[in-house]
Amino acid sequence: MRRLALLLRKDARRLARSPLLLVALVVYPLLIALLLGLVVRYAGERPRVAFVDRAGLPSTIVIGGERFDLRGLFEDAAEVELVRMSPEEARRQVATGQAVASLTIPRDFTVKLRRLNESPRIVLRTSQSALGTRVVEKMNALTYAINLKLQKAYVDANLGFVDLLKRGGTGTLGETEVTVMGLEQARSELERLADSPDADVAATAKELARFVGQVEGAVDQVGEYLQATANPIQLVSEKERGRTWLLSAQVQAYALGLALAFVAVLLGAALITSEREERTLGRLVQGLVGLAGIVAEKIAFVSLLGASVGLALALVFGAVVEIGGVSGGQPWERLPLLTVGLVLVAASFGAVGVLLGTLARDTSGAMLLALLIGLPVVLVAVVPTGSFPLAGALSAAVPFGHAVDLAAAVLYDSDPWPEALRQAAWLLGLTLAFALLARASAHRLLV
Amino acid sequence: MAILLVARGVARSYGRNEALAPTDLELRRGEILAVVGPNGAGKSTLLALLAGALPPTRGAILRGSPPPRIGWAPQRPAQYGHLSARENLELFARLAGLDEPGAAADRALERLALPEGAGRAAHLSVGNQQRLNLALGLLGEPQVLLLDEPTASLDLERRRGLWKTLQDHRARGGAVLLSSHSPEEVARLADRVLVLLDGRVVFEGSPAELENAMPELVGGA
Repeated sequence: MRRLALLLRKDARRLARSPLLLVALVVYPLLIALLLGLVVRYAGERPRVAFVDRAGLPSTIVIGGERFDLRGLFEDAAEVELVRMSPEEARRQVATGQAVASLTIPRDFTVKLRRLNESPRIVLRTSQSALGTRVVEKMNALTYAINLKLQKAYVDANLGFVDLLKRGGTGTLGETEVTVMGLEQARSELERLADSPDADVAATAKELARFVGQVEGAVDQVGEYLQATANPIQLVSEKERGRTWLLSAQVQAYALGLALAFVAVLLGAALITSEREERTLGRLVQGLVGLAGIVAEKIAFVSLLGASVGLALALVFGAVVEIGGVSGGQPWERLPLLTVGLVLVAASFGAVGVLLGTLARDTSGAMLLALLIGLPVVLVAVVPTGSFPLAGALSAAVPFGHAVDLAAAVLYDSDPWPEALRQAAWLLGLTLAFALLARASAHRLLV
Repeated sequence: MAILLVARGVARSYGRNEALAPTDLELRRGEILAVVGPNGAGKSTLLALLAGALPPTRGAILRGSPPPRIGWAPQRPAQYGHLSARENLELFARLAGLDEPGAAADRALERLALPEGAGRAAHLSVGNQQRLNLALGLLGEPQVLLLDEPTASLDLERRRGLWKTLQDHRARGGAVLLSSHSPEEVARLADRVLVLLDGRVVFEGSPAELENAMPELVGGA
């Protein structure tokens, strides 16, 4: 341990004497993080929308005698990714930028839907992000799709009312049972009165019977009008105060993941290859420090430096959030947990870098290899898994996706532990796997 | 004389290229063994194998009990360019677990007349870099010195100084294995000579015996 500490100190001194390199290692990935975040946000699979079901949507609802899986209609929406959560969590996620909007189903939604006498409303709250307009468009499309499915039931139900008015009898109006005479019977009664010996009564009854006949004719055409005007649900859009895209949780998680990916992979590769280029590996393995120790030291150094860089980024991000009075605030109390996460993230990327360094054997080759392999490794994690299933498997085998998910969970999930522990276990496993591969390949440096 | 280092059938290959054929060698206390041969003969590979800086493809290297401390100065400087000469010496002294790393660095700086300044080793002259490389090899008074063309970049005065250092080391019971292209150096220092050709030992004997065998060796080559 004492020898590893000496090497760590030596590497720290090396980096401290190359401040330009350090600045470049931080600024460059940050710029890429912003660009990638933009691409992900605009070209991602589906915008993430918080779904608040205050009505407790039933799995089936009967409207106009027809059964509907109302919950499924929302949850299977292809336009957006609706994530069910409590109102408080939805408010928090919109505020922090984890969700771009929230969709609330009010308590009286199903009641109004059953009554069929008033359009129930669903409420969409968007943040101030640049995606607000896009989300409203998506939600309009979703509402339209659901309306289309409900339309026929509404029309059939209304036609049932019309038929009741025409023929008479007993039926339900909304949730009220009513018994009506019906236009046909009313007309027949009026025609009977038209034969009354009282001339005034007969004339009036005849006039009314003619009018009822006209109404019957009009009612016959109601069906067509209903088909043309059906639009049972209205979408009400409200603007909420939330984070701009630039300060969203997703961008912060991507910025951390990407910054650490580049810093740690490049640094890990550079550190191990520079030992070879300075021919000091031979001196070290001469009974001072074994190859396994050297690989471990490089990964440890990169993880400590990477965690420092990540922490600095999180602090800067948090300062901007606080100074700007941005809603949601920065979760400062999570910094210790974030630090642990960053150490793991940087260690896993560092192990990848050290492995690449042992494969390339010289610094320039290692840098090229790190860029050639590092960039696809990052990009594969943002490929929608639905469109390319292999991307999911590849993404699981490299640290980037786990790093982003860990950072997002640690920073903004109301209960970060389940996801954080899952991703931490992945990162630890990947670190060990890449470190073992690096150790196995490190003998190539001893030539 | 007690044997400090033994090589038994030690060989090293890089892919299909055999840099050193199976080689047997013994290095005894109080002797200087010179390894000579043309460039690419396998001298540096042999020294790196004996130093433990390179794993052999075949064979084994046995060290006495207790194992002697081995100092190694490869042909090209092996040191950290971003550290000063003193920082390099102190770092390797600490890594080697020397009791007083600062004092050991002082002695090494003085012995090879290295600059004391805080300038990085990468900015030193080629000669000074080579001397720092040697100083690292001599650090901590190792019993066995493995020096790969140690005088190649030294001026005459420094060369003579190093020769004196090596002779003193032998007189104290230490062992030296050095590779060299200088007949004068070999004749002046070596007790035994090993000639390598294309990775194979083609001669082993005293400098005088080598002189007699030269016509045959040159003819054979």
